Amino acid sequence: MSNSKPLGPRKVVGKVVERPKRPVGVQTYVPEIAKGLGITMSHFFKNTKEMALGQRNDPVLEGMSDGVNTVSYPEQRRPYPERFRGVHRLTQRPSGDPKCVACLCCSTACPAQCIHIVPAEYPVGDERRGYERYPAEFVIDELRCVFCGFCVEACPVDAIRMDTGLHPAPYDSREQFIFKKDLLMQFQGRDGTRDSGNTRHEPGDPTHPGVTREHLPH
Amino acid sequence: MIELILAALRAVFVVMFGMNVAVICTWVDRRQGALIQDRVGPDRAVIWLPTGLARILALLPAAGAAAAVMALSFHDKQVRGDEPVAMGRALLFSELALFMAWATLAAMVAHVGRRGAESSLDRSLVSIGAPRRIALFGVCAQLGLLVALALVAGSPIGALVAGAAYGGGVLLLAGAMLGGAVFAAVNMRGERVGIRLLGLLHPAADGLKTAFKEDIIPLGVDRFMYGLAPWLAFFPALVVLAVIPFGDTLCFATTASGGIDILGLLDSVPGEGVCTEGALQLQVADLNVGILYFFAVAGTGIVGAALAGWASDNKYSLLGGLRAASQMVSYEVTLGLTLIGAMMIYGTLQVDEMVRWQAHNTWGIFVQPLAFILFFAAAVAESKRIPFDIPEGESELVAGYFTEYCGMKFAMFMFAEYVAMVSAAAVMAAIFLGGWDVPFLQRDGLHVAFGQTELWSAALPHAAVIALGFLAFVLKVLFMCWLQLSIRWTLPRFRYDQVMRLGWRVLLPLSLANILVTGFLVLVAQSGSEALASGLRVTADLTKGLLALGGLVGTVAMVRFLLSPPRHSHSNASTSARYATAAGGTRNATQSA
Repeated sequence: MSNSKPLGPRKVVGKVVERPKRPVGVQTYVPEIAKGLGITMSHFFKNTKEMALGQRNDPVLEGMSDGVNTVSYPEQRRPYPERFRGVHRLTQRPSGDPKCVACLCCSTACPAQCIHIVPAEYPVGDERRGYERYPAEFVIDELRCVFCGFCVEACPVDAIRMDTGLHPAPYDSREQFIFKKDLLMQFQGRDGTRDSGNTRHEPGDPTHPGVTREHLPH
Repeated sequence: MIELILAALRAVFVVMFGMNVAVICTWVDRRQGALIQDRVGPDRAVIWLPTGLARILALLPAAGAAAAVMALSFHDKQVRGDEPVAMGRALLFSELALFMAWATLAAMVAHVGRRGAESSLDRSLVSIGAPRRIALFGVCAQLGLLVALALVAGSPIGALVAGAAYGGGVLLLAGAMLGGAVFAAVNMRGERVGIRLLGLLHPAADGLKTAFKEDIIPLGVDRFMYGLAPWLAFFPALVVLAVIPFGDTLCFATTASGGIDILGLLDSVPGEGVCTEGALQLQVADLNVGILYFFAVAGTGIVGAALAGWASDNKYSLLGGLRAASQMVSYEVTLGLTLIGAMMIYGTLQVDEMVRWQAHNTWGIFVQPLAFILFFAAAVAESKRIPFDIPEGESELVAGYFTEYCGMKFAMFMFAEYVAMVSAAAVMAAIFLGGWDVPFLQRDGLHVAFGQTELWSAALPHAAVIALGFLAFVLKVLFMCWLQLSIRWTLPRFRYDQVMRLGWRVLLPLSLANILVTGFLVLVAQSGSEALASGLRVTADLTKGLLALGGLVGTVAMVRFLLSPPRHSHSNASTSARYATAAGGTRNATQSA
């Protein structure tokens, strides 16, 4: 029985911790208020002066420094990186038609299923009839879009791009986020152009390298 | 008839003053709260103007002001005939012109610096020097001109110099105003210009927004009481201002029937005493119970909060209303008792007389320093603001007594809080900070005197003295408001029991002790000898000297602070900063949404 513990609550051996000292200045609270007010006011005066005299930091370039670093959108904007994926655009041919051949690769690749294309045949007599189609309708729901960029990767003719550098502006209704073909073709790339880098050689052009319907065994 | 119109005008003026200061305070409160946390705060409200209209708006007032200045000087010349220009007028115009000139120039250079020099004019502007240097030179030139004009004032060439300063000042003033406006108009770019007024449009936009918000009245509320409560909270806070004098008594000439001749403001009045006839008090109601009216009306403010809590049919509202009632009743006691000492010293209940005593002797804060601190604490508690905002403590009571209110009714509760703050600031300014008193400014002009020895004096026209007094009162009110706002951004909220303990066990005994000590000292001063009285007299003048010196030092420190270069501790640039730099900086980045 010698090694059994005694009954009853275990005796706690602790260390005596001194209570924090509260000198008169702390107890009366008034000097502490004055000290706090001093800190508040020094921040207030410094920032007010720099705001009023236009001496504040550039909120992006010096965003990690002290002082007021709010980006006052839209007067000031945080430039997006070069490869930022923004709102889509449809590139144009020199004639002003869309580059798109309505192959549906983008809408097939789209994980959010936010692209809808109505392909149409060129009219009888048009040289392109039978080789490619054109989009009668091209609709992107920018609210549904997850901005993954798969559509850009999937496009075989460089017809869809996300290099506008824009994010969708806030609108009043969901309908306004559904961008139609005309709007998508109005957007410019960051270089200010509307055409793509991939030159398209139309069938019938002397530079057209591919097979034509003449090569078909009749 | 004219007395009636004047009374109505004064009432409207006081109401507009109180409400406007309260509106500005609501905005400053949030703006300042943001600035001390290194944020910009609400400044986004904007009115867009077509650039053409904005150019006209910039040019027209400046052209008008310049023409007015020229016409005024021309008229002045006609009136004077061959008389020389008065030195005071020359000083006023030349100093104003110098200030206008350097401020405009500095603003122009700063603008060019921000957007980059484009024309040869821009380059020559930039070559003048940094805006800070221009401001420094400008301030030095103003001081130099002041000294130079003061030196030649009595000498034979004084009249000649005064004439030159006056003429040059008028031309420079008109030129600076026109030049600045033309520069601003030319430099307006783009199709439209946003008017922001430093963000001051934001409270107006907020007010407009709340006015159009849906007024949701919950089921189960007592609809009448529920609608009445915001008014009961708002109204008493505003009408307190009725007994506060916002300026010294104006003296007019009298008409044949003994009424006030409103066009005949006296040019100058004697330094001692107030005119008995043709006097216009700048105060809505000079009640003989004065400060008691303040307690009576401020006390009814409790009813609004308690009623809102009870009528809302919500347990949190009820708890908030009860807290508001108990807190305000507790601090009402201290609020009243702290002023007893001041009443004993001033020997009157009329606020106007109290201010007059302070103007004649010394400010209340010097004779009742403890009462000032106690009154300040009690007044903050009375307006239910941080750190005493337990009636609306979000952490435990959702929003306290106005939980169930929304839209304009909620805005009225919030606004009532700010109006109460302005009223408290006005009362403190009148009773402890000398109201409209400017140190050494008496009714006939400046008299820098200590006891019987007068060091310097200058006569001022009656209108200027009253205007200076009014300006001083407004500044004091704004300062006290600002102090209360700063307190809000510094202190955390008390616990309920702490508030009660502070009110009943600290502030109340201290205010009672203050009465006792004050009574003893008043008895000593009254039964004292002639030497003691004159000693007190000189001490009172010394305190005024201290105030004037403090004001001077504060102004110099402020100018020095404004001219000091900005100091930022720069840390490593962020990734986005590197992108931004590569894209040509935030201002030139080619994007639009």
